[in-house]
Amino acid sequence: MNHDHHTGRDSGPAMGFNRRSFLKAAGFTLAGVMVAGCERQKVDKAIPFLVKPEEVIPGTSTWYASTCGGCTAGCGILIKNRDGRPIKIEGNPEHPLSGGGLCATGQAMVLSLYDSHRLQKPALRGKPALWDEIDRAVTGQLEKTRREGKTVRILTSSAPGPTALAAVAKFLTAFPGAKHIRYDPLSASAIADAHQQCYGRRFIPHYRFDRSGVIASFDADFLGTWLSPVEFTRAYRSGRPIDGMTPSMSHHVQIESRMSLSGSNADRRLVARPDEQYRLLLRLTALVDREAGRTPAVPDPGPDPRHEDEMRRLAALLNTARGNSLVVCGANHLPSQLLTAYLNHTLQNTGATVDLDAPSYCRTGSDAAVAELMAELDSGGVGMLIVWDANPAYDWPGDGAFAGSMKKAGMSVICASHEDETSHEATVVLPKAHPMEEWDDAEPVSGIVSVRQPAITPFGDTRSLTDCLHRWTGDTISDLEAIKNWWRAAFFPRRNTAADSFDTFWNDAVYRGFVRVNPAPAPLKPFNTSSLGPCGESGPRGGELVLEFYPTVALLDGRHAHNPWLQELPDPVTKIVWDNYASVSPATAAGNGLHRGDIVHVGLDGASLELPVVIQRGQADGTVAVALGYGKMGTDRFSSVGPEWFEGVRTVEPGELVGKNAGPAREFRDGYLANWRTVREFRGTGSARRLAATQEYDSLRMPAGLAPPDEERRPIIQETTLSAYLASRSAGSFPKPEIHTIWPDEYRFPHHRWAMAIDLSACTGCSACVVGCQAENNIPVVGKDEVYRNREMAWLRIDRYYSGEDGDLSVAYQPMLCQHCEHAPCETVCPVLATVHSDEGLNQQVYNRCVGTRYCSNNCPYKIRRFNWFDYSHGDDMQRLVLNPDVVVRERGIMEKCSFCVQRIQEVKIRAKEGRRPISDGEVKTACEQSCPAQAIVFGDLRDPESRISKMQSGPRMYRVLEETGTAPSIAYMTLVRNRGEEGGADA
Amino acid sequence: MNNRVLGIFLGAGLLLCLTIFLTSYANNVRLPGNNEGYEPVQPIAYSHRLHAGELQLACLHCHSDAGRSRNAGIPTMQTCMDCHKFVTAPILDIRAEDRRAAEAKEKPKRIVSAELHKLYAAMGLDDQLRPEPGAVPRAVGWIRVHELPDFVYFNHGAHVSAGAECQTCHGAIETMERVRQVSDLSMGWCVNCHRGSNATGVQGRAVAAPTDCSGCHF
Amino acid sequence: MPDVVSEIRRPLIGGNKSYGEVTREVCAPLDRKSSAAWWTTLSAALAMLVLGVVAVTYELRTGIGTWGLNNTVGWAFDITNFVFWIGIGHAGTLISAILFLFNQKWRTSVNRSAEAMTLFAVMCAGIFPVIHMGRPWLAHWVIPYPNARGPLWVNFRSPLVWDMFAIGTYFIVSFTFWYVGLIPDLATIRDRATSKIKKALAGFFSFGWDGSNRTWQRYETIYLLLAGLATPLVVSVHTIVSWDFATSLIPGWHTTIFPPYFVAGAVFSGFAMVLTLMLIVRRVLHFEDYITLHHIGAMSKIIIATGGIVALAYATEFFVALYSGNEYERFTFVNRALGPYGWAYWTMVGCNIGVPQLLWLKKIRSNVAAVFVISLLINVGMWFERFVIITISLSRDYLPASWASYSPTTIEIATLIGSFGLFFTLFLLFSRFLPMIAIGEVKGILRYGRSNGKEAGK
Repeated sequence: MNHDHHTGRDSGPAMGFNRRSFLKAAGFTLAGVMVAGCERQKVDKAIPFLVKPEEVIPGTSTWYASTCGGCTAGCGILIKNRDGRPIKIEGNPEHPLSGGGLCATGQAMVLSLYDSHRLQKPALRGKPALWDEIDRAVTGQLEKTRREGKTVRILTSSAPGPTALAAVAKFLTAFPGAKHIRYDPLSASAIADAHQQCYGRRFIPHYRFDRSGVIASFDADFLGTWLSPVEFTRAYRSGRPIDGMTPSMSHHVQIESRMSLSGSNADRRLVARPDEQYRLLLRLTALVDREAGRTPAVPDPGPDPRHEDEMRRLAALLNTARGNSLVVCGANHLPSQLLTAYLNHTLQNTGATVDLDAPSYCRTGSDAAVAELMAELDSGGVGMLIVWDANPAYDWPGDGAFAGSMKKAGMSVICASHEDETSHEATVVLPKAHPMEEWDDAEPVSGIVSVRQPAITPFGDTRSLTDCLHRWTGDTISDLEAIKNWWRAAFFPRRNTAADSFDTFWNDAVYRGFVRVNPAPAPLKPFNTSSLGPCGESGPRGGELVLEFYPTVALLDGRHAHNPWLQELPDPVTKIVWDNYASVSPATAAGNGLHRGDIVHVGLDGASLELPVVIQRGQADGTVAVALGYGKMGTDRFSSVGPEWFEGVRTVEPGELVGKNAGPAREFRDGYLANWRTVREFRGTGSARRLAATQEYDSLRMPAGLAPPDEERRPIIQETTLSAYLASRSAGSFPKPEIHTIWPDEYRFPHHRWAMAIDLSACTGCSACVVGCQAENNIPVVGKDEVYRNREMAWLRIDRYYSGEDGDLSVAYQPMLCQHCEHAPCETVCPVLATVHSDEGLNQQVYNRCVGTRYCSNNCPYKIRRFNWFDYSHGDDMQRLVLNPDVVVRERGIMEKCSFCVQRIQEVKIRAKEGRRPISDGEVKTACEQSCPAQAIVFGDLRDPESRISKMQSGPRMYRVLEETGTAPSIAYMTLVRNRGEEGGADA
Repeated sequence: MNNRVLGIFLGAGLLLCLTIFLTSYANNVRLPGNNEGYEPVQPIAYSHRLHAGELQLACLHCHSDAGRSRNAGIPTMQTCMDCHKFVTAPILDIRAEDRRAAEAKEKPKRIVSAELHKLYAAMGLDDQLRPEPGAVPRAVGWIRVHELPDFVYFNHGAHVSAGAECQTCHGAIETMERVRQVSDLSMGWCVNCHRGSNATGVQGRAVAAPTDCSGCHF
Repeated sequence: MPDVVSEIRRPLIGGNKSYGEVTREVCAPLDRKSSAAWWTTLSAALAMLVLGVVAVTYELRTGIGTWGLNNTVGWAFDITNFVFWIGIGHAGTLISAILFLFNQKWRTSVNRSAEAMTLFAVMCAGIFPVIHMGRPWLAHWVIPYPNARGPLWVNFRSPLVWDMFAIGTYFIVSFTFWYVGLIPDLATIRDRATSKIKKALAGFFSFGWDGSNRTWQRYETIYLLLAGLATPLVVSVHTIVSWDFATSLIPGWHTTIFPPYFVAGAVFSGFAMVLTLMLIVRRVLHFEDYITLHHIGAMSKIIIATGGIVALAYATEFFVALYSGNEYERFTFVNRALGPYGWAYWTMVGCNIGVPQLLWLKKIRSNVAAVFVISLLINVGMWFERFVIITISLSRDYLPASWASYSPTTIEIATLIGSFGLFFTLFLLFSRFLPMIAIGEVKGILRYGRSNGKEAGK
């Protein structure tokens, strides 16, 4: 490993800490005492390489193009590698799907790499074993299986890429009757099956939100967690070019029961219980058919008084927008998905907004297959079960159901990154490498193939799936070779580039991180309407409560439960951290006499949950929503997170897990993992649990009785509707305050003037920027108690405000970070000049000068300054490897805040100076700007009149928050425009 | 009575003198963290005087990253070996041996100086530069001389490419047998140089050396 | 009293004492062994002090996080206590300087202890700006001194820097003033001293006072000069402290009337504290003849007056807020009264505006117990005034998303108790080792309002 990093600030916080404590001591002695002589308090070694690798320049970063492994969406990423270790992940701007954006989980993947709790060595029957022993045991068992005529089963997530799948296929051929089952806890099984019935092939189409003028989403949280959120967010955004020549926006109608991220961004939001949605879908289909003068292909359930108007409106809109409308449905319910497919078909969206020829491979799992597998296991017919990157014992319905069946297999081989519920019961446990540790490939969408290359030598003694399967079938070939071979065979012939030799083809792919090839030819049968035929269960559950399951933006199916950054990432809507909870509507809560934090008992058939209540505005009455992905084995590790002092409360008690696992409480209904089920019993238990949220007050409306009628709503967010905006560009703008200032304002910025613009219409609140900032700026994790005490450290927070009545509640997100005010109130009050203005317009915070009076923070109207209340830990020695060596680790007692990523500015400036050239627009990207999938954040130099930032800041929607206070912020916000779909506004 | 008053005044006076006496020595008094004059003994007695001075090796020959990275970079062991594959001892010793051999009419013995022996040992080689069986190559741990606090960001590349002389900060390194910290590396010292360079330019070329806090602290 | 000559000029010192008696009575506590009561109170005070020391040590070792503060409320108990103690420290200088210049003879029997109180209060106050820092070991950076950083000076625009100067000056001048006043009495102690050490010490510290006309004359000159010098400080210190808030832009802080408002409040609370202490001293050390109902009455009147000013300030604040048309400003004040911290606001109003009105009644003014209770309540009220201004304003400022509530931790409460511990410890030691009443000055007014002629008590 590289040693040269001992010579820089790269030396990691362990050393930094000594230095800091030394400085403290120095500070004390400084008061009068002076030391003579030149003994150094601490002797540091500078250890060079013996022989230096060619590409490594100590102290500079190398970037590797790769593919994100955070979920199965396969976004393109660039890995920033510094002195031999990855320290940051960023979206790959050239990638056709993610196009430079990256979600919160993707950003946080770099921390998982340094997780010391990851499995390091294989184990056989609970004891550490060598790979040889494992191989012997496995191959032996495989032989035995063949002899006994039993079968082999491989269960994986949708993660395995083309090469791995090829390896699996090859492996299966060696064993008659062997099968590969794919399982996604966040299942889209019904979508695939629906297309199987309609088009004769099982696939999930590639939805094109960028081409969609009208979007009808039935409970599909496509901006948050559904299929490929980053791609969809980006596409959704590009479908709403407000600042284009002719401002236009797609019209997004969300029909949902809980307040999802997509719902909170929708132009119109219909609140309907999950059990009502199928009927609405039927009704919509009928109406659309009628509009088009056809006899409805489905039985019309008749109008539902509450939603009829909206349904008619929507049907009309969809028909007018034939060919560029889109209907998506999140329900894992075949009839619903059949209707969705039919709607898109009959609206002529297929081929336009619904791409059938190049389908998506990101969730190919089949729930029925898993159920079948469990039956086989129970029958004892399975001699060998290999589970890779799946944890059914954790998330398959029925507590311990899968584990029970698994024990009946002749041998179970589990490959997992951590010890989890499934591996706990397995005969053989294999350590799973982190996606950044091994060669791999992915094909999220047919025709877009991407490479995953190792950015660091594996920490553990790991092997890829491909490698294992190859060895167990007797041939040893390196992953890289395997991949190249398969690519040569499968993709090189389908190339649509000019690459003449495979090497150029391959090198280009490795260089870019992906390559486009012609999608695999996929003959489809014409749409089979009869498949719609007798539709299954539909009737709403009437008065009964229904329990709905959903994934969170941070933890998804729980695969990221070990990542403290994500555990502490506030939920975009509820802003709660470190917990999952039973979310109910205000009415439901009142009906059951519940208050926030009360623990409720949710009784179901054969299962039950006990969770604290959260009262969520905008949720359907009579529904309870619970997040998946919590209560994962091993999360009791977080009991040590956060400062320890005598009034401090642990994040979780020792032995207690973070949140409750809702997986086993799910229901396998009609062949699918239903995303909702009926509740039998719902009552408070009398006990309560305190929930930590980063936001206490929810609305711009002042508390009742504390403000005169005309001042009830604070002018913080400018909102308007598209039609109003089309009428007048200044729609929704606050009156421009006239500022009387005693400050001379003639300062000419000699070099640059950095500024930022944030488009509230683009921001979806997905919180990717929050984690991006955390990774870039060494922001510590402070634990639940500190968040509860309003001491979160995130430099960038996303304020979420509700407005309107619960009927149609609208939500506004406002990323709030240091505004780098020209007349910064913080700067005048600091006694020691620890925060001053730079000649490039930056509000600088000098950590090493700060004495911590907190005066600056008190005087900041935006309250974006963050104080180090304790010496916050940056995790164990291994996790500290993720620290960005270009940013200081702050000690306790210091104020910190957004620096506009000054380290990036400096880096670019130095590069430009070295090259004797000016800095080009967009060359400096802040971490938040870089990670934003919606490109809502723009950073740049106001001195350059041609820069994007100059254009945006002079645009009509521009306004500054709290401008009337005379702080003259450098950050401009863009009016939030909603396409309410009034006359003229709807057609995009 | 009055002599008490006198006593008090005398006491005060004495104190005053004492303070003046002390402050007059202030230039010998150093604040904590100021390591000016630090000159540690290095594991190998490498001589900058010899290499940079007499032999006129360019600084960037060994510290090759200084022009393109934060860290100037300590030369890899391999870099040393590039020359010391052949140069195994001071030329005088070798000449002496040759003379002795000539007189004794025998083949001159190979001479390896004690210091270079350490280098070879580090590379896991014996004096004949054959891999020593069982020896693990281990890089030499040099003692850092110039060290800035963690909260200071210093970039060699920026300074070298701007045309700053190594000697400006490191002193007449080419005359030093053992490297010595010649400047106090205090903030004032940095800032004043930046101010100066902005006024006068560096090597006839105007520069924009940052004088903002965030030039070095972030 | 037989020898009273005038109805309008009532004697200031009761009991027709001779000079000798005065000396004897005032010095009595210094001579006799310290009473059990003194020991018990001292140990109580020390216990409080120790508690405080423990709390502060823990805070310094662990971090400011051991206080209930958060990202939104950056100051609460710490600065509240600071302003509170500075306020207490006001009466001393006022009594010694301003009343002296106005030739208020009655001040003589209270000024010594009032000045002592001032010093101790300022000491207590001085602690908080230091310990409230995240890195108190770097507190000296607030002082401008030549350094190797370029050099890097302090931010002269920052009220905290002004504070540092203001409080420093205030302490030094108050101390000098107090000490100069002590010199004649130290000489008295010296002359009465029986033990050698005591004689030597008192002798040294009395600067060789010989009681000659010349000495007296010099003394009076310097005292007058110091009084003149100290007078502006009475106004300046709290004015500057108030700028900590007035110059900021947080609604509820950003208020132009703060300087007079704070000064009045300070005098108000200062006198309340003087009363509290004097009434105890009077009782314990049997100074009824020196600190007469007349004194109590006089101080009560000052309290009514300053209390009135404070009430006016409260009203003005509200009026200005509503009149300003600034919605943030308006909200802040309504929120103070009706928001979640309303109870604190009403405690403040009750104690500072309601309670003092009782003092209009002579009956109550002349009822020692009643005045004592009132003075205590005023102290409570004034502490809450600072809490209301600082904490409530911060907890709900501009962006609703960043609103946060605040509640103190054990450590903070212990620290507050500790500051009282320090205050009382010092005061008790003072009462034991130095004359609580300016003997020299009291003798000067002993004959006030009495027929001249024969030396009484002969």
